[in-house]
Amino acid sequence: MLLATCCLSPQEERVEKKNVNRQGRKRIYEILDRVQFQTPSIDVERARYFTQSMAQTEGELLTLRWAKALKHVAEKITVYITPGQLLAGRAGKPGRYGILYPEIDGDFYEEVISQLPKREKCPFTVSQGDMNIILEEIAPYWKGKTFHEHLNAVMPKEIRGVTYDDELGLRSKFVVSETASYRSALQWVPDYEKVLKRGFIDLQNDAKKRLAALDLTNSLDLWEKKPFLDAMIIVCDAVMIWAKRHADLARETATAEKDPHRKQELLRMAQICDHVPAHPARNFREAVQSQWFVQMFSRLEQKAAAVISNGRMDQYLYPYYAKDLAEGILTRRDAMELLECMWVDMSQFIDLYINPTGNEFSEAYAHWEAVTIGGQTPQGEDATNELSYLFLESKREFPLNYPDLAARIHSRTPKRFLHEIALTIKDGSGFPKLINDEEIVPLYAIKGAPMHEALDYAVSGCTEARMPNRDTYTSGCVYINFAAALEMLMYNGRMRRYGDELVGLETGDPEQFNDWGEFYGAYKAQHMNLLEKAFQQQHIVDCLRPLHFATPFSSVLHNLCMDACKDLQSKKIEGGIDYSYFEFLGYATVVDSLAAIKKLVFEDKRLTMRQVVEAMKADFAGFEPIREMLRNAPCYGNDDSYVDAIGKDIDAISQVAAQKNSKERGVHVDLRYVPVTSHVPFGKVVSATPNGRKAWTALADGTSASHGADKNGPTAVLLSNYHSKNYGMVNRASRLLNIKLSPKCVAGDEGTKKLVNLIRTFCDLKLWHLQFNIVNRRTLEAAQRDPSNYRNLLVRIAGYSAYFCDLSPDLQHDIIERTEHSDF
Amino acid sequence: MSDEKQTGIVFNIQKFSMHDGQGIRTMVFLKGCPLRCPWCSNPESQRHEPERAFNPTRCLTAQVCGRCLEACPNAALRVIEGGIVFDRSRCTRCGLCVSVCPTGAQSVYGQVMSVGDILNQVERDDVFYNRSDGGMTLSGGEPLAQPDFALALLREARRRRIHTTIETCGHCPTALLDRACRHLDALIFDIKSLDSEKHKRLVGVGNELILRNIEHVWTHFPLLPVLIRTPVVPGFNDTNGEILNIRKMLPQRTNVCFEPLTYHRMGQPKYAYLGRDYPLEGIEADEGFMKRLRERLKILDP
Ligand code: SF4
Ligand code: SF4
Repeated sequence: MLLATCCLSPQEERVEKKNVNRQGRKRIYEILDRVQFQTPSIDVERARYFTQSMAQTEGELLTLRWAKALKHVAEKITVYITPGQLLAGRAGKPGRYGILYPEIDGDFYEEVISQLPKREKCPFTVSQGDMNIILEEIAPYWKGKTFHEHLNAVMPKEIRGVTYDDELGLRSKFVVSETASYRSALQWVPDYEKVLKRGFIDLQNDAKKRLAALDLTNSLDLWEKKPFLDAMIIVCDAVMIWAKRHADLARETATAEKDPHRKQELLRMAQICDHVPAHPARNFREAVQSQWFVQMFSRLEQKAAAVISNGRMDQYLYPYYAKDLAEGILTRRDAMELLECMWVDMSQFIDLYINPTGNEFSEAYAHWEAVTIGGQTPQGEDATNELSYLFLESKREFPLNYPDLAARIHSRTPKRFLHEIALTIKDGSGFPKLINDEEIVPLYAIKGAPMHEALDYAVSGCTEARMPNRDTYTSGCVYINFAAALEMLMYNGRMRRYGDELVGLETGDPEQFNDWGEFYGAYKAQHMNLLEKAFQQQHIVDCLRPLHFATPFSSVLHNLCMDACKDLQSKKIEGGIDYSYFEFLGYATVVDSLAAIKKLVFEDKRLTMRQVVEAMKADFAGFEPIREMLRNAPCYGNDDSYVDAIGKDIDAISQVAAQKNSKERGVHVDLRYVPVTSHVPFGKVVSATPNGRKAWTALADGTSASHGADKNGPTAVLLSNYHSKNYGMVNRASRLLNIKLSPKCVAGDEGTKKLVNLIRTFCDLKLWHLQFNIVNRRTLEAAQRDPSNYRNLLVRIAGYSAYFCDLSPDLQHDIIERTEHSDF
Repeated sequence: MSDEKQTGIVFNIQKFSMHDGQGIRTMVFLKGCPLRCPWCSNPESQRHEPERAFNPTRCLTAQVCGRCLEACPNAALRVIEGGIVFDRSRCTRCGLCVSVCPTGAQSVYGQVMSVGDILNQVERDDVFYNRSDGGMTLSGGEPLAQPDFALALLREARRRRIHTTIETCGHCPTALLDRACRHLDALIFDIKSLDSEKHKRLVGVGNELILRNIEHVWTHFPLLPVLIRTPVVPGFNDTNGEILNIRKMLPQRTNVCFEPLTYHRMGQPKYAYLGRDYPLEGIEADEGFMKRLRERLKILDP
């Protein structure tokens, strides 16, 4: 066993040698270079016009008010054409920008906005003039009207105690955290295909027909359906007006343009914007422009987490691509340039979290505008096509962190596709993430989706899946810190961060437990207590949100909303399926801690409970041998059934509770493990844990192993994941899994093949999600020391890639400490 | 005795091996080797019997911990100038220090395991072998230095439909290698030098038996995939002539491959844990030479 020494990933080579190949991408790099590492600024126009209109329409149906507000925005907001761009349409001013959604957080702008330029994570600049508009025109209107104020006011005391850490409900307690009050909805995928095929005139006509068919002597028709359909008609007008204004601007700009080539481009742009999205797209260029309008207009409508996903782009664009190629009016290169035009403009819309908690959840300007590639057709055949390959190629040659790329894998994914996926992963910037049809399709079908729709799901957001005409659940979901439950078990219901306050249940002095059964029973009591509170909290959220949010634009694109004449934000829509979830924070932290106590205290009796508690209280200072013993107990992530069985049981008891709650609430309440970056802030409230983890450090993320605990390589990590899942239960949602490999481990053609095989096996195991970081520890450490030279280094976080240097030191540390699997 | 019940001494089972045979593999390292290559990166593999080791870098120090000192009934562990010193001559390998050590600084290389236990562990990665055509690779030490155990492992793996490979130094009775090959899906075979004198001087035995054995494989197992590997060790065999000659003596068959291995010293710390000196102190691989060598080999291997 003699091995060669070091080896760099292509990304590491590019970063270290600073040799980005810009050939053939003059236009794209010109746009990108102007904006890439700018601090984003706030654009207030959307918020301003939205507020103006909302102030005029109080008392009307919320969906109608929203539609009118969007129309007002569409008419008033400044429209832009970026120099050199082939696509028109942005939701704010040139450069990197974020927009405001005062309906979410307008009530506390006063306290927060002035801090934005200075904050450490994701700063934004804001001009004095805009600041005045925010504080004088926008904020005052929303005081007393926002969702979070409402939620904060009505939340029962017992639930509040685990939710907020302040009077205003702005600071999370990071025990049972609601995530509904800093976004208008969960991630979403609009039905782009519908717009490309039909256009908004047709969609509007459909609404008009439905309106004409109403029986206005029927109370429901008169008071609920009519205003809804009016709203649909108005919102179609809104987007068409907005597009038309871009056509006019393109013509104006063309008149002044000196360069004849650019003039032609602008004139063509004007023609395209005259035609789409009002009419069906006739070619690839129009299809891409139409999609872009829909995407950007969705941004103006709402803040759906960080996410308006792009859907199955290789599917709905393919007919236009194939046709144009056959007719000789488009080359592969043209198509790639046009898409990359979209990527660079996408990268300029920055999701802005005003709420400090929201900001903690998603560091480094997080974004998940997932483009889905591959997978199966609605009839279950392999769906890979030439565009799927083109997306991968674009990612390898132009490794921007936009868009997020997600590849659907199934049992018959072609070898060539997997090979190119592996090559792209090997580049080292974290794309694409892998999502498994063999887990998702049957699961969604058994929960009620028609098979052809389940087969046609699109990846949405971080690791979720959406069926754009079947999904109807939109509430941001609850995050539960089960490492806190563990801490409460050790300190009789208290947490060291919160002093004497009783946060959980008083399960007594841990020294009183006579055996593992009693001890684990007490843990389960703490666990169930948080779970119960979480479910109650979520139900309140579900009930209140429709009073505050509406989404006419998303609704007009959704078949079920149109049939029921109900806004997508409604609590219940006939025929819809509500896939809701609850988030498990600190899985491996909890599982490893329980296993350590089971083994060392109750079975081997090498330690007493008192020793463990004393060591924890001291954060292990002076107790290093005890810490080492705890750390060397069986750990999740090593394919060790001793500990994986505990993990499986905790997963099971959570699902049993979820099943009961699903019945009560009439939605699917599913267990999910996708912390995004929140395992860092959630860790900050948890003191030392019995797995040897130091106080206030990050919890284990998703279903990955604790830092450095996975010592048997990635196959064992995958198998632990597999063995801790309950395939016989269906109240489960996505499980995020990070694997970090050294570039050497997958070097060469052999390495590519082995990566392909690893992916195939991931698919066989029916794990939900998998993503790779292929990077040397050395590179990350160098980037920490010398950020200016590693500005371009991308790493995989949680369903998205971000610039390593944009991460907080805590999260950088978290990533460095993820076990790097090299080959043996 | 049934194959599953056979026991032997194993010092490591390693999952996710990517470079020792086809596909994703599990390595089973058997203890004991007839050669003593000074560049060996697994010194803990050489002796047949289990060995006690002490790794001071993992030790929390006697002041902070000291559990092993208390546990040792033979005063084999003492503190000298603040550091723990391990006196091998007093150690009876009772293992008490190992069981109390919280960090793994005190350890034993090698434990008795049964074929059944090993295969149960190997089989856990079956789902990965399925996709990658991987399987089990027996390594060492010299796996055939525990002949009955190695053969039982191979037979049992075969019975469980697990792809089998061994990594051998080739220095074993020809009849034994012959028996092993009957249960093999692939063979990895080291040829270190064609110069028997030099061979003997450095590793302790001449190369005649080794070369006879590989001839036997060529003749009797012409279809068996074979990978011949040569560790290129500075000052020993690092000349183009020497390596290319090894390559040239191999039969031109598609199932026979050749791979030169770059010398590295990642095994060096383990010598210290075992209380031995590292024989090749101060030697570094010549990366440039290796690169040129690989290019020349590529021409021979179109
Ligand atoms: S194995 Fe036994 S005799 Fe040897 S050092 Fe450890 S405790 Fe002492
Ligand atoms: S028991 Fe282990 S950690 Fe403790 S002093 Fe001995 S060698 Fe060091």
